[in-house]
Amino acid sequence: MIGGGFFGNGPVQVALLIGGGAAVVSAVVGVFTVMRGQSFAGHALADISSAGGSASLLLGIPALAGFLAMAALGAGGMEMIGARQIRERDLVTGIVLGAGLGLTALFLYLDISTTSASGAANTVMFGSMFAIAPGTVPFALGVGALALAVSVVLYRPLLLIAIDPDLAAIRGVNARLLGLLHLLVLAVAVALSAMTIGAILSTALLIGPAAAALRVATRPVWAIVLAVTIGLVATWGGIALAYDSFYWTPGHGWPVSFFVVVIVVASYAAAGPVGGALARRRATALPAPVSGFEPGG
Amino acid sequence: MICHIIRSDHFGAWGMADFRAALVLAVLVAGTGCALASGPIKDGPIRAVGIENEYANVIQQIGRRYVAASAIESNPNTDPHSFEASPRVAQQIAGAALVVENGVGYDSWADKIIAAAPDPHRVVINVQHLLGLPNATPNPHLWYAPTTMPVVAKAVAAALGRMAPGHAAYFEANVARFDASLKPWYAAIAAFKARYGGTPVAVTEPVGDYMLEAAGADIETPFSLQAAIMNGTDPSPQDVATQNALFNAHKVKVFVYNQQVTDPLTASFLDLARKDHIPVVGVYETMPTPGYDYQSWMLAEVQALQRAVTAGISTQSLLGGK
Repeated sequence: MIGGGFFGNGPVQVALLIGGGAAVVSAVVGVFTVMRGQSFAGHALADISSAGGSASLLLGIPALAGFLAMAALGAGGMEMIGARQIRERDLVTGIVLGAGLGLTALFLYLDISTTSASGAANTVMFGSMFAIAPGTVPFALGVGALALAVSVVLYRPLLLIAIDPDLAAIRGVNARLLGLLHLLVLAVAVALSAMTIGAILSTALLIGPAAAALRVATRPVWAIVLAVTIGLVATWGGIALAYDSFYWTPGHGWPVSFFVVVIVVASYAAAGPVGGALARRRATALPAPVSGFEPGG
Repeated sequence: MICHIIRSDHFGAWGMADFRAALVLAVLVAGTGCALASGPIKDGPIRAVGIENEYANVIQQIGRRYVAASAIESNPNTDPHSFEASPRVAQQIAGAALVVENGVGYDSWADKIIAAAPDPHRVVINVQHLLGLPNATPNPHLWYAPTTMPVVAKAVAAALGRMAPGHAAYFEANVARFDASLKPWYAAIAAFKARYGGTPVAVTEPVGDYMLEAAGADIETPFSLQAAIMNGTDPSPQDVATQNALFNAHKVKVFVYNQQVTDPLTASFLDLARKDHIPVVGVYETMPTPGYDYQSWMLAEVQALQRAVTAGISTQSLLGGK
């Protein structure tokens, strides 16, 4: 299926590397995010980061730095206001999200009306995976690796907070600090995927593979492995399809973001029946059902 | 203030001879107590708007002292494709007796403003319709085609002549002068074509394509990449790789770079061109100011192209100090 020259194509190589990095970090962070019920916060951070992406065009700094700084600022803001109850948390998240999008509107307007960055809105919102400068690769992968390392260190306490916040509190886990660190790692994940599939769609890469994996896997480790696999299949598959689409409608490649999201949604839809079938098999094979997630898996 | 004659606020575009003529006329008028003033002069010059400043410049050259032409898009650092109109712009258009717009979707926002302030006496010249081009015309940068402006100048003169019949002959004479002043540009294009026809060039978007085609250059950049950059959509990786190869394999002699639509992708092409020692020629969506009129701008572009091919010299910007 893949036309000649796929792996030898410069823009494709950059997309495979940065897209792959974004998929891995998003999947790992996404599992904790879904388990903690922070999907909306993840989406909000992605949209807030678009303000940074659009500001970076105005200031002439690397886009990733802009996305990252704004997402981190948003994460700090949400944690600082720090509402405990879920309902209140959603409220705070929504308000910070609104502020971020308002700033995005301002910066995009300034980009388009005072600089020559006419494609700013498209690039920031929907990504431009084949237009990423090769020089960005080391920085992007370095930041991603750092985020992954933090996730590994925080694995056990994060899991405990996700499953049983009360028990975590008794054991002396600093939920506040941990929450902030998790949001910062989340900020890295959304900044990376905003660079690749765009700010609006980066939620898909964060939530989709994790949610699909959690429908199938019964242990967190397997959920993470599965989420990473789905994320990579979606991203690399999306890149391959976008590359191939160039030959479907001569000369007009379809956007990568579209294919990535299609594969993510399809995986989530398929995960339901697969997860159900697995559960039925376990129920017949084992007398006692496997209990929920245990810390340390 | 000597009547309204010197009120025409576009002295910058005038030659010294025009200035002297105006001065003589002004003294005459002052001496005769404005007896010469007639027609639109009594009410001030005809107000005209060129949506892009190259059209405003041509209107001014045809109408001269009987017209005050202003432009809406004239910032050489922004991309007119994504222009958003402000209330001030709406007022400017509403007060104009003559509007020249490009068409081909390039300035479609202007149609809405014109429709919002209906005026049966206002004349709107749509260059696309004037040239009989279909809406699906892929390249909207009509002013780079050598055949466009003479037609526009003629239409402007006809419209002005209807508004001020007493000066119709004057406007016609200015058209003849304008057409004659384009000759050095045509000669430069013909000379380039004769000597360097078939020169392979790369571009970022189709802004200068009509002129490059007239000069016989071979545009090697895939049009789909030019369209993606022009419209700010995702480029295909095949096209980006093709463009990169044009530089790295030295398949092109010149890189024609649009100063007004830049993004990280076009910047990366610019870096590649520099690294591979391929000379760069800057082109513009609107007339670079100050220092140029339409004719001198177009001539400067061809001369820059010529310098790039013959001496490998880059002219990235037509404006000094850049």
